Amino acid sequence: MRLRIPNRLEDVFAALDQAAGHLARHHIDEACRADVRLVLEELLVNIVRHGYPGGRDGEISIFIDIHRDHVQLKLEDDAQPFDARGHELPDLSGDIADREIGGLGLHLIHNIADDLTYVRDGNLNITIARFCPTLPDEPSP
Amino acid sequence: MTLTVRSESPTPERSTVWLEGRLDAETFASFDETMRDITPLVDNGGTLVLDLSALDYISSAGLRSLAVLRKQMRDRNGRTLLLNPPPQVRKVFEIVKAVPVAEVFASVAELDQYLDHIQKQLTPPRD
Repeated sequence: MRLRIPNRLEDVFAALDQAAGHLARHHIDEACRADVRLVLEELLVNIVRHGYPGGRDGEISIFIDIHRDHVQLKLEDDAQPFDARGHELPDLSGDIADREIGGLGLHLIHNIADDLTYVRDGNLNITIARFCPTLPDEPSP
Repeated sequence: MTLTVRSESPTPERSTVWLEGRLDAETFASFDETMRDITPLVDNGGTLVLDLSALDYISSAGLRSLAVLRKQMRDRNGRTLLLNPPPQVRKVFEIVKAVPVAEVFASVAELDQYLDHIQKQLTPPRD
């Protein structure tokens, strides 16, 4: 599946629903669908909120490829360079009510995607996340 | 509609709020707004229970809303307890260590037992 959206929040939410529908139609299990949705939401919201300082128009392409043993999510955006892997993780000690709340989304991306890669290609950020769903023919652990 | 918030017959000591759907970057603002009407109805020192059994999904935007709620309740000597989070929600809570495990309950009975216990600690025994 390929989607191309402008850098607006309302388009982000529509894209999340389309991605979820695509995964459901391909019988990806519920837990994996939620994982993909979460990583996609965190990445897209981050790009839209912080990637275009000054408010210029931008474009984000979303590719979802379903393979036999994994789901690959790829984003290409023309926002300012941003590597979701290279950021300090938040301090998770103490009550969440007392914490600086920044960085939770990135922390979730790191922990939920089974693999995360990033390259800057010309004016594009290319971020790839992989997910391993539970396959229906796999024996239960 | 992607998030439904329902609150029934709150008392000043304890108010339960049911969340259904998704608490994410799309819905957190309306959730915050709804909670602004509900939390003042709980007395200082009271308990806010969030029943999450029908919450399908939470993202970092939703976590921020819950953090603000916890802080507001705690600043009034109250507490926020979570009931029955489904697997996706529980997983996200665990990854970010969002709430002490002791404040998440699998059933209303477990929650009542906890509150009874707290109440006994607060009430001096009669002779």
